[in-house]
Amino acid sequence: MRPRLALSGIALSLVAAVPAPSSGSPREVEFGLENSSYPTALTPLNRQNALGLDDPEDLLRVTAAWKENIGGLRVVIRGYVQRDLGAGGATTWTARQAYLQYGWGSTLQVRLGKQRIAWGSGFAWNPTNRLEPPKNAFNTSLEQEGSLAARLDWIPSSRAGVILIATRAEAAGGDLPLETTSPPRTSGSGRLRVLIKDTDLALVVTAGKNQRTLVGFDAARDVGAQITAHAEGAFYRGAELAPPRNGQTFFRVAAGLLRNRDTTSLSLEYFYNGEGYGDAATRAYLRGLDILYGGATDPSLPPSAREEALSRYLAGVSVPYSGGLGLRRHYLQASWVRSEMRGKWSLSAQGLFALSDGGLALTPGVSFAPRGNVTLQLDGILLLGPAGSEYRLAPVRGALQSRVKVLF
Amino acid sequence: MSSLVLGLLLAAAPDPDAILRRADKAVLGDAATYVLRMTVVRPGKSDRVVEMKGWKKGDDLGLVRYISPARERGTAYLRRGENTWLFLPSAEKVVRVGAKQNFGGGDFSNADIFRLSLVKDYIPTLVGEEAIEGQACYKLDLKAKDRSIAYDRVVYWVRTDGTFFPAHADYHTVSGKRLKWLKAAEVAPLGGRTRPTLLTMESAVEKGSRTLLRFLSIQDDARIDDRLFTPSALERGE
Repeated sequence: MRPRLALSGIALSLVAAVPAPSSGSPREVEFGLENSSYPTALTPLNRQNALGLDDPEDLLRVTAAWKENIGGLRVVIRGYVQRDLGAGGATTWTARQAYLQYGWGSTLQVRLGKQRIAWGSGFAWNPTNRLEPPKNAFNTSLEQEGSLAARLDWIPSSRAGVILIATRAEAAGGDLPLETTSPPRTSGSGRLRVLIKDTDLALVVTAGKNQRTLVGFDAARDVGAQITAHAEGAFYRGAELAPPRNGQTFFRVAAGLLRNRDTTSLSLEYFYNGEGYGDAATRAYLRGLDILYGGATDPSLPPSAREEALSRYLAGVSVPYSGGLGLRRHYLQASWVRSEMRGKWSLSAQGLFALSDGGLALTPGVSFAPRGNVTLQLDGILLLGPAGSEYRLAPVRGALQSRVKVLF
Repeated sequence: MSSLVLGLLLAAAPDPDAILRRADKAVLGDAATYVLRMTVVRPGKSDRVVEMKGWKKGDDLGLVRYISPARERGTAYLRRGENTWLFLPSAEKVVRVGAKQNFGGGDFSNADIFRLSLVKDYIPTLVGEEAIEGQACYKLDLKAKDRSIAYDRVVYWVRTDGTFFPAHADYHTVSGKRLKWLKAAEVAPLGGRTRPTLLTMESAVEKGSRTLLRFLSIQDDARIDDRLFTPSALERGE
């Protein structure tokens, strides 16, 4: 199995002089380069490099996007061609989004094709949105891949909106360093959004194949002139992480605060994943992986049994990444963004704290916009914490990601 | 007799609410669409220039979408009563933001940009008349109706020549400190009538920092559906 992730340093000086964009154009075209480098690690989730990762895992992507507005019709295509720079280098292409949208005034809109759903007030976690491929657990700010969907937006009044959507979402996140084995989810979902007394409220119902039936809520409001608060939660029956625990009802919630002042934003969000593993379950999970890997490498077993054990080990390794919500129960996200420092620079830092085990995924970043239509971005990802904590178990030790984007 | 004279004088005195109501509509009509260019000036830094398209309806509804530079295109702010939302096109996400947040990194706050209704937010008192750059103006003292309003006190000068064009405003904190001031200038025909076309907000705290809003086009009396001013519509982008 080849990893699907990666990258390493691109020359950021590739930006050539480009013409300034015309303002208000109905057409938007974008080209870019993305490069990521992931130093890999041998951990209980990658025993003796069972995942077959290079060190570092290195991916180079050429990205392109086209958006066209023709009256009420919109066409959007965003995608990339990726070259795996490692030993088994392969070239693939992926459409992150490719959809048609048509709107009838402000009342009704239909969108068909591969698209982002992106609903929910949560920043790092969206418990009510199980309609998209999982986010990259190590970099939640990456551009996410959409899911195949038919979506209808209806705004019956100025204080209410309804979204009905049918989706088919891959269980594998496009930016994860390993394949996940969960089958695609086919879902139908409805979201009712209302504004009541200066509070955004939403109710969500989702059901489908390979999809837990979910009832969710979402609320957000101002708590002062500079601070807003949100809470997004969902109840569902049966677990998404193994074991299935079919008779049990679980609850997830992401709640947080956002403070904006001048050009600085601060956010804090707590995430509770009711089905996440406790210490004992984590130990049992890791013990299970050890047993499976032991079987996979036991010369006394017949080859078919060893292959079966390896296959189950690899499936087990993907568990923390198949849902996009992590392995444990309690998390905290803190982010700081300061833009327009010295006119063209922005700095950011995001920390994901796994409160259950002391792990920390730290993502510092810097972006520079030398022209109005050119952005250069460099992000680092550091996975820290005690040995055995979720982020230190990961088959990568961190990442360096660089991106250049030119818009026309 | 003297009480009669006083009564007549009081009756003739302009009504501060009426002045404020007229000034509210002097730049943009009750329902309007417009295009404006915002230039943020910071000492020692290059200017930041953003162009945006805006929609306004009544006292409660406002929407602004960035149209340039390209890297910020699609970013949008929606104001509905006391609520403000920001649409981030890169994340395709709508987030709530506070009304006192600076708009686009400049010296205007969200509340200033959408300045939907001073009449609604402030209690005006007419304190006299003063000349601003040679132009006779009513001087109004505006006191915020409650603590949620962006500024606790605004001193506002409105032209007395019948146009009711705003000329100048000083914004103060609750402690009385002047935070920034606004100047309305370049009165010119635009969108079928004459009005101030350049608003400059200057910081009293950071010397030399100022933000210019120049209206490039305005259409008054536009027919705009209320449903344009919803987070759901914002989410769909433009």
